[in-house]
Amino acid sequence: MVDYSLKKFAQLIFTVFGVVTLVFFTLRFIPGDAASAMAGDTISGEALELLREQMGLNAPLWSQYLAYLHGLVTFDFGVTITTQLPVADLILRAMPVTLSIAVLTIVLTVTLAIPLGTLAALMAHRGQNGLDNAITGTAMVLDLMPSFWTALVFLLIFSLTLGWFPASGTISFDSPVDYLKRIALPVLVLSVTQLATMARITRTAVLEVLSEDYVRTARAMGWSEMRVLFRHALKNAALPIVTVIGLSFGNLLNGTVIVEFIFTIPGIGNLLINGINSRDYQMVQTLIVFYALLFIVINFATDIIYRALDPRVKF
Amino acid sequence: MKQDATNIPQSLSNPSSLSRAARGQLARISQGRFLGNRKTRVALVILVPILLLTAFAPILPLQGPLETNLRAMMQPPSLEHPFGTDRMGRDILARTLSGVQISLLVGLSVAAIALVAGILLGTLAGFFGGIVDRTVMSIVDIFLAFPSLLLAIGLVAVMGTGVIPVIFAIALADVPRFIRLQRSLVLSLRSRAFIDAARTVSAPQGWLMRRHIVPNTVAPMLVAASIAAANAILVEASLSFLGLGIMPPTPSLGNIIRDGQTYLEQAWWISTLPGLVILAIAISFHFLSDGVREALDPRSRQ
Amino acid sequence: MTYQTEIAPPLLDVRDLCTEFGTDHGTVKAVNGVSFAINEGERVAIVGESGSGKSAMAMSILRLLAYPGRVTSGKVRLEGRDLCSLSERQLNSVRGREVGTVFQDPMSSLDPVMRISKQMIPPIMRSLRLSREKARAEAILWLDKVGIPDPERRLEAFPFEMSGGMRQRVMIAMALSCRPRLLIADEPTTALDVTIQAQIVEVMKTLTAETGTAMMFITHDLGLVARFADKVAVMYAGRIVEFGPVRDIFCAPAHPYTQSLLSTIPSTKALRHERLAQIPGMPPDMKSPPQGCAFRARCAAAVARCAQDAPELSPRGSGHIAACWQPKGLEGCKRTACESRPQHGGNRPPRERTMVEINRLTKHFSSPRLFSRGPAPVVRAVNGVTLRVQQGETLGIVGESGCGKSTVARLLLGLEQPTSGEIFIDGLAQMVFQDPSASFNPKMRIGAIIEEPLIVKSWGDKAARSARLRQLITQVGLEEAHLERYPSQLSGGQRQRVAVARALALDPSVIVADEPTSALDVSVRAQIINLLVDLKEELGIAFVFISHDLLTVRYIADRIAVMYLGEVVEYGPADQVFDQPAHPYTKALIEAVPLPDPVTEARRATRLLEGELPSPLNLPKGCAFASRCPIATDICRTEKPVLRHPMKTREAACHHVNSI
Repeated sequence: MVDYSLKKFAQLIFTVFGVVTLVFFTLRFIPGDAASAMAGDTISGEALELLREQMGLNAPLWSQYLAYLHGLVTFDFGVTITTQLPVADLILRAMPVTLSIAVLTIVLTVTLAIPLGTLAALMAHRGQNGLDNAITGTAMVLDLMPSFWTALVFLLIFSLTLGWFPASGTISFDSPVDYLKRIALPVLVLSVTQLATMARITRTAVLEVLSEDYVRTARAMGWSEMRVLFRHALKNAALPIVTVIGLSFGNLLNGTVIVEFIFTIPGIGNLLINGINSRDYQMVQTLIVFYALLFIVINFATDIIYRALDPRVKF
Repeated sequence: MKQDATNIPQSLSNPSSLSRAARGQLARISQGRFLGNRKTRVALVILVPILLLTAFAPILPLQGPLETNLRAMMQPPSLEHPFGTDRMGRDILARTLSGVQISLLVGLSVAAIALVAGILLGTLAGFFGGIVDRTVMSIVDIFLAFPSLLLAIGLVAVMGTGVIPVIFAIALADVPRFIRLQRSLVLSLRSRAFIDAARTVSAPQGWLMRRHIVPNTVAPMLVAASIAAANAILVEASLSFLGLGIMPPTPSLGNIIRDGQTYLEQAWWISTLPGLVILAIAISFHFLSDGVREALDPRSRQ
Repeated sequence: MTYQTEIAPPLLDVRDLCTEFGTDHGTVKAVNGVSFAINEGERVAIVGESGSGKSAMAMSILRLLAYPGRVTSGKVRLEGRDLCSLSERQLNSVRGREVGTVFQDPMSSLDPVMRISKQMIPPIMRSLRLSREKARAEAILWLDKVGIPDPERRLEAFPFEMSGGMRQRVMIAMALSCRPRLLIADEPTTALDVTIQAQIVEVMKTLTAETGTAMMFITHDLGLVARFADKVAVMYAGRIVEFGPVRDIFCAPAHPYTQSLLSTIPSTKALRHERLAQIPGMPPDMKSPPQGCAFRARCAAAVARCAQDAPELSPRGSGHIAACWQPKGLEGCKRTACESRPQHGGNRPPRERTMVEINRLTKHFSSPRLFSRGPAPVVRAVNGVTLRVQQGETLGIVGESGCGKSTVARLLLGLEQPTSGEIFIDGLAQMVFQDPSASFNPKMRIGAIIEEPLIVKSWGDKAARSARLRQLITQVGLEEAHLERYPSQLSGGQRQRVAVARALALDPSVIVADEPTSALDVSVRAQIINLLVDLKEELGIAFVFISHDLLTVRYIADRIAVMYLGEVVEYGPADQVFDQPAHPYTKALIEAVPLPDPVTEARRATRLLEGELPSPLNLPKGCAFASRCPIATDICRTEKPVLRHPMKTREAACHHVNSI
């Protein structure tokens, strides 16, 4: 375990280093430079030079790079160009909303997808293809609906027509009920897509396990269908499912950007879009690194959990 | 551009424009198994009408996609405007069909780039192993650390908007996945007995890759490419929707839907109908990939 | 149905059982009206090739068939109760409790994420109504009975911590600990090595005799059956074609299929110049079983009547029945099947040239670790092997899996680089691989596959190559039309012929065949062996024949090398090694081979080899075999024996070689 974790951790450090370096140098490839891109046509001459100085763009590349790395490890990500507020503060303030949406989505998805996927697998295993086809077919359509489109359709139906949830408005943790109502639609939209993927993977995993020899052994020992399913099939299928939950976190992060944009939720996804629109490269650069780090850490955790669950992996 | 967008999908069923290896594959699968496959037929039933409409859009009795008509603003769907009109009186169907061209161009270009780059680099990494493998895979890992849409967003932020940057941005997120897939296929092939058999007569490595490895990876890679094309269409739409992809006035499915967002309550058709078209295209590409898969492996009926 | 002479009702009575599998390409009628009975405490073997429906039949009894399998008609009575009419819940009280089951693949039959205790104790508690503690004690008792060392500790192990043989013992303990009346064993030893197979069969025989449990033993290995079955049922194409007491089946087989199967097994007394009997053709496609007798297309005794009506089982002796119109089956036409081999003695080159010379060959595999200290673990796959093959000679290499025999083959072909030692080959070595389905590129036509070595080596021009192709394909007994096919369109036997043709393409001086027949059905196996022997005689090529099947090796090889843990422990002429093994390991291996003769089997001393192969990761200091050797003494554990010449022509690595 320790051996493996250390090896994985070394890889992780290498990947993180690669990510931050890649982001840094990609941003240096902007035609002209970041300052002129940022300023657009609004300022020129001395003001632009001042901006360059302020952003440290006049220093040699390697010293810029070192300053950037130093900033990252000391959590000093600089200030935004528009409001001059520290980037770190803005991200920290936006984090809870995004995380709460992500966590709620995962909870909702897992509680619905695993029973549905298992049901479909059971049906397919017995050759009762009707219900299986219904579940798999629906899952495929849901999976392929563009999430921004789903969001608009839900908005149209549940907000504008039925009036169940607010379409927009302020967001605060003061009233949990209002807060939940406000993020209900975004969570629902994200869950729809996630649900489809996870149900499909659950189905495949369970179906595969159901035709394993040890499941037949359990049946031959006279155990009931339910016991075979819960004690043997689901326990073994849990391994691939855990991996998929980890991997689908990447899609979830993609999705939060879109729903935050549509439902005007002040999370980090919205910070990113605003950052790009206002050409705030300090913000964009930090956020992209931040998303990647989040994803890397989740994948690392998934990998370790997977190995902890599987007794066959020697530590 | 119109030419490109409509010709590439046809070439999927018309093998002559594909590589030699792929031609052999398709020649065989198209003999009954592929075209006779139920899922393939479903895919074609959806895809062919969309392609025909797109190709013949200029001669259909429709307004031009950029043409405004101030006397017919925000019209609900009718015979004259099957998808309705927007706030400037532009015909949504015409705009959608024009958007489909861009979608297909993006989807197929991304799939092609990912396929070629993935097969090349994945084969090298998997076949030679060692330092080549470690280098390629380290870079792949770095790219895979970004959630795909976010990587595309970041790249578009740097490269700017428009069709070419969008294709490049989406492909850059897909290529590492294809490299990884190809590498795993190569690794599983590398230890197969028929490779050993060729090695016993000292067949050169180029021969092994050309004759034995790559031909056996083309089919699964085509399946993946078909899904990647569907995915790229969705990502392009997402980018355009966020205002980071194809910029107005050039119509793209994403930015048409974005336009309609403001008028969701008054004119539901502007956003919803083009979305259905995206969904239909994505579904047909998925069925197409299932069709290829089943044609090649009749056992995968589960 | 007059075969049932006993008055007491049988324990299991199967009548007219039919089972189908509905597939996309048609309905496979796997079982086609099977009837038989098993009495209390009786051991019945069901023998058949793959596709004969034997496993489907066994799984149908407890309704364990996976979708799309389905029992369509018939009755299964267990002590008078009809199992087919029971509900799933009622059947669950029969499964495990009254009928225990042991499956083929021990590696996948136990739940990988559950400890043995969790899989073993609950069934005992349920079946015998015992408390957890008592059930636990019972489980430990049974693990001990099936020969698992340190059962108390092993009970808490995970399956992956055990070898295949150990897992199969656990499966047997699990099944028998619930005290079933009947044990169904579906190819329980197929995946295991010959010495382990002998142990498992012995354990099952002893324990079922002890508890009075009846057993239904399904196998494709006719030889295995002679050792312990009371009665034998032979299945072909979904039907039982012959059923009777084991002695009758082996000594007086009545059905042509049984007769042919028995004669395809190389006997210990077989003369080299006699070809193995082979059954022509292939089993019928069960999607459209032929009218009349299913075996008639492959039967030398077939008459017009066979094509019209399928024969019913009819009595041939006391309790012995067979389904054939000919009262004595093939008798009378047997000679034609067993023709003698054409002699090539005249133009055979003298055996003086050494074609292969291997000197002190070693191959170690190591996997370096990144973060832990200490030396990386080294697998010593081949550990100082010295061998020689003369022109026109066949060297057989035998040993259990993991003994390094396949690694030697790969080293010979240059597919692996030796760690040390030398290999000299006079000319070119080519290989025939084990698995005929994996050894061809599925995207290439047979012609292109055989032509590949010629192209790579720039052999001749296009016309010369295509002439060579036609010559090769006929040489291995196929037709030119086969050149245009893809590997998936050929049967296993045909593919192995193609593999031989490819190996011959460049006129090699040596052909290495690594288990070339082990993936094939019994009836096809003999065809391939005959082909190889013919080619050897005809072309004077040297062969290295690697196999775990000792009878085949004895038949085909001139000299034999017995390998154990990467070393050659005995080396000498085939007949001598077999008749008077010098090394205790060779002796044990030969004793473990089941012989298709119940009389001999009954007389044989069954001194089985105990224990399993030690891990090649940490080899013992002295003789590698000492841990399992019945005659090991202190010197064996401290000092490594070297190959010596106890007799002029032979070598053996044992301290006690002269005292055996």
